[in-house]
Amino acid sequence: MAIRFPLSIAAAILVIGSLLALVLPEYYLRLLNLSAISAVAVIGLNFAFGYAGLISLGHAAFVGMGAYGLAILTTTCGWSPWLAAPAAIVASAVLAALIGFPLLRLRGHYLALATLGLNVSFYIVTSNWISLTGGTNGIARIPELALGSFAFSGEHRFLWLVLVVLATVAAVAAILHASRHGREMMAVRDDEIASEMIGIDTTRVKITAFVLSAICAAIAGCLFALHVRFVAPEDFTYAHSITYLAMLIVGGEGTIIGAILGAILLTFLPEWLRFLGTAYLFFFGLLMLCILVFLPTGLVGLGERLRRPRKRVSPVPVGAPEAT
Amino acid sequence: MTVLEARGIHKRYGGLAALADVDLTVAKGQLVAVIGPNGAGKSTLLNVLTGLAIPDEGRVLLDGRAITRMATNRRIRAGLGRTFQHGRVFARLSVLENVMTGAAICGDLSEARLRDVSMEVISQMGLTDEANEAVGSLSYGRRRMVELARALACRPNVLLLDEPAAGLNSAEVDQLVDRLTRLRATHGLAIVLIEHNMGMVMRLAERIFVLNFGCKIAEGTPAEIQAHPAVLSAYLGEGYVHADV
Repeated sequence: MAIRFPLSIAAAILVIGSLLALVLPEYYLRLLNLSAISAVAVIGLNFAFGYAGLISLGHAAFVGMGAYGLAILTTTCGWSPWLAAPAAIVASAVLAALIGFPLLRLRGHYLALATLGLNVSFYIVTSNWISLTGGTNGIARIPELALGSFAFSGEHRFLWLVLVVLATVAAVAAILHASRHGREMMAVRDDEIASEMIGIDTTRVKITAFVLSAICAAIAGCLFALHVRFVAPEDFTYAHSITYLAMLIVGGEGTIIGAILGAILLTFLPEWLRFLGTAYLFFFGLLMLCILVFLPTGLVGLGERLRRPRKRVSPVPVGAPEAT
Repeated sequence: MTVLEARGIHKRYGGLAALADVDLTVAKGQLVAVIGPNGAGKSTLLNVLTGLAIPDEGRVLLDGRAITRMATNRRIRAGLGRTFQHGRVFARLSVLENVMTGAAICGDLSEARLRDVSMEVISQMGLTDEANEAVGSLSYGRRRMVELARALACRPNVLLLDEPAAGLNSAEVDQLVDRLTRLRATHGLAIVLIEHNMGMVMRLAERIFVLNFGCKIAEGTPAEIQAHPAVLSAYLGEGYVHADV
């Protein structure tokens, strides 16, 4: 497999991010940090939804597991963030595997509802297990991440960290996409029975996709906790899961670039529409609707259309009847 | 030498007996056809053989090994292959990716080797020009070929084909017959063919099993089946005349 694309995508993230860091004011840098953190989570969601076709409305719960894991280990146990982050990510992956075994027996809308339930349960647990999570008050005073004397404090410095993590996650996702494991996931998405019929263990593939998705979500959660240095249940509700899903669909499901574009657009768009006052939600919704109707393959599909204007790009929806 | 065997298969769906005491034997390199009217239980039999349905009674043996309750993906790794009545392809993947996904079960091949092996199968099936096309953009007939190519890339010992000629024009059916004949000659592949195209069945099959209402009503050579009164009455029609045998 050519390593060129993963390296190119990583390089593009670092170069574009660095250039933006030079010109953007502090407030926009904060938004850029948040959108890059979201992009890590959305690349994760792309493994489950974009590649393996698993509709997850509980992605924010795994972001929360990463964030809370790091917050608890650093504040209550006094661990270094460098140790707490991998521990929180591993714990989230194990939980995803344990949850995935029963959950991934479900398909389609049932899976969507079950993952929604998972997210609601996460919110209820984090809101009420006060001794561990601080309840609705959350956990504050998360220590900042430092490399020797260099602390990743402030939006500028934190952006370097986020960009490196995002570039790494995107490159790994691109490598996986072009590998046999990526093809297996996409095969399961397109037709589970046909996948079994060529020897693919679909249960293993779905759990792998779900766990990979949770790992990226947990990485995003750790970054979020280190960036904001405060976590509370309100940051990981099912509404956030729907936003992650919207980011992926708007950007272009099944693509890494789409995941990143969607995360950036949906983070910045509310700010750009702020001049509309309370009417901004109406225009936000309208814009989303337009993208879904006129760009069913997302923002990435726009590039494809511009390159090949005459050829209609119409993806075959999962489960759609075949043309005969 | 028997490669695939089903013994005393019973399968019920509620009050309906989809299969009742059905036996099937396939020898190495043999092409066996299963025919019968719609609803006779032909596809159910393939589902039982491939593990998509578990029989209520009976056993399935592959190379003498019991696989009755084995998971589908493990049966495929053990040497079974199958295509479906309505063609099941990975529509958003390219032809090459479809076939590479199948070829991947052959072992721990490098991506380059996997590509070469897959291109070989694609070439055998006459799909070279469409190798990089998304399968969703191909015609129905070409999709069926992709599905067959993908099944062959898994290197099965026994290939189960569920109405492979359905929806194909006569030229495509002729191509399919040629390819199946060549595959058997070159790979010694055993084939179980479900088909309503009697011309194709009579040209290819060495042995024919006839199902009706879930029961086996006849078994024999094409000539024997065409003269069998129960088969003529239940399926072929009393005035059936086949000129191609």
